[in-house]
Amino acid sequence: MKSIHRAAAAALACAVLGTGSLALADTQIVGAGSTFDNPFFSRAFFQYKSDHPDVTVNYQSIGSGGGIQQFTARTVDFGASDVPLNPNEMKAARDANGAVVEFPVTLGGVAIAYNVSGAPGHLQLSSSVLANIFLGKISVWNDPAITSLNPGANIPNLPIIVVHRADSSGTTYIFTDYLSRISAQWKSQIGTSKSVSWPAPSSVGMKGNEGVAGQIQNTPGSIGYIELAYALENDIPYAALQNQAGKFVVPTLDSVRAAAAQKPTVSPDDFSIVDLPGADSYPICGYSWVMLWRNQADPDRGKQLADLFKWVVTSGQAYAVNVKYVALPESVQAMAQKALATIHS
Amino acid sequence: MSRLAVRNAWSAFMICVAAACAGIAALLLAIIVLYVLSKGAGALRPTFFTQIPRPVGIPGGGVANAILGSAEIIALASIAAVPIGTAAGVYLALFGRGRVAASVRFLSDVLTGVPSIAIGVFAYALVVLPARQFSAVSASVALGIIMLPIIVRTTEEAVRLVPHTIREGALALGIPAWKATLLVTVPVARPGITTGVLLAIARVAGESAPLLFTAFGNPQWSVGLTHPIAALPLVIFQYAISPYKDWQQTAWGGALVLIALVFALNLAARVALRSRFAR
Repeated sequence: MKSIHRAAAAALACAVLGTGSLALADTQIVGAGSTFDNPFFSRAFFQYKSDHPDVTVNYQSIGSGGGIQQFTARTVDFGASDVPLNPNEMKAARDANGAVVEFPVTLGGVAIAYNVSGAPGHLQLSSSVLANIFLGKISVWNDPAITSLNPGANIPNLPIIVVHRADSSGTTYIFTDYLSRISAQWKSQIGTSKSVSWPAPSSVGMKGNEGVAGQIQNTPGSIGYIELAYALENDIPYAALQNQAGKFVVPTLDSVRAAAAQKPTVSPDDFSIVDLPGADSYPICGYSWVMLWRNQADPDRGKQLADLFKWVVTSGQAYAVNVKYVALPESVQAMAQKALATIHS
Repeated sequence: MSRLAVRNAWSAFMICVAAACAGIAALLLAIIVLYVLSKGAGALRPTFFTQIPRPVGIPGGGVANAILGSAEIIALASIAAVPIGTAAGVYLALFGRGRVAASVRFLSDVLTGVPSIAIGVFAYALVVLPARQFSAVSASVALGIIMLPIIVRTTEEAVRLVPHTIREGALALGIPAWKATLLVTVPVARPGITTGVLLAIARVAGESAPLLFTAFGNPQWSVGLTHPIAALPLVIFQYAISPYKDWQQTAWGGALVLIALVFALNLAARVALRSRFAR
């Protein structure tokens, strides 16, 4: 009993001493949001910490919707989302703490990943087949619509299980944005949003890109949408999609870059880069955005935040390529720097 | 005679059924422990206990910050919940009469049943939102609330088990009631109270739901009370649903550490209880 008391007292003493010594040396920047960004952020912030030992960035990938919510509640220093704030969210944020600065931090592709034993490494899926799978109209893998696109492939008679996001997600927004463009039925019945009601009868929702990727790995017959980095890092097979030019394109850093090049300027009001023209363009791509308050209450912290993201959108992009994201195009880097320059601190 | 034989046969049959049920319960625990051991033992390299997590794609690293974070949150929660809980338990056992005591008892029973995620949301609204910061303190508030009713009820039971005669003997010698309570009754009940505290700690050590929006998690070393902090159940939750093989293994390793911790606490509770009878 006594020894328990002593151990508890010792632990407390350590904690209190630790608090004092760490609090002096360290600025902790806290961010939350997009799981799309997480592999890039975890790598980039790890690097930033080793270059700037006095700045620690704690990023929690709770989903884009959660990131926007926590940013607006002002419990975090920055939010990250694969879609800029919509008008309602922008109004709520302005009411909470004034103007918001939004800028892209990374560029990536959304891969259509699947788990079908015997299927080739990159199944070819046309836009209408893809829409019909997610609408629930195609429910087995050896449906003629799929096999006719993949002659010679030995596709088993397996029911299709759609894996989607359960949380409010920017990746869902990008994907449903694409489906709305290629399918009138999707556009009128389901629409484009960070969370939608999924029509396919056998579907399962998971939390985060992490959860969807994990679920696909463990569920034979499943198909879902994940950020390309998650498919590449985990060797999950993913489909070649038919783009606007009619060509089947595998998501790669090059095909995502080619798509983004079709639209050199983006802004928070005009951000969508899905279904763009160009023979080499992968059709489902998106920028991911970071939100900061324009007026920073604490000048030092505000400067550290601005410096951090000036690095992220320029030199930090080198680490994006390492973890299978596409570096921001020059024009977009310039747009982001311009936005960052408006932060008052 | 035949009636007796039927009864004996029925009795033997029921004993077999009961034994089988007991066996199933024990077997389940054994299966869980063995499975977690087989999956998680490989993750327990020395760095697991000394290093912080590495980003995706960089091998190595550990969960030392989460182990420290969990220890800090639980220690803080205990500092708040143990004195309040034991005092309330002693009150209920010795002095609590009538409506007030009955409602305290009822409310603490209800509190035991409140889902831990609801308590997490409560701590988020109570501490995180006004402070505009996820923090170790808010996590301790959530865990402390979960611990409180467990400590209250076990303390009450432990104190009730102390024979009246001991306390009455002390009072008869002219010792004031407060002294008789603190120096005679409570020390006799101490093994039972300790058991309750240890079980309460074991209960919250594995909670992840109340930490999601309080402790929030932290990939770095951080012990500051007003900063987000890493915790073992959070790391297990985050890593277990991740698609990365080495993260999944780390999650199994973390689960193994948690099970070992809870096992050790239960064992300590047993030992504390036994010493009472040895006395």
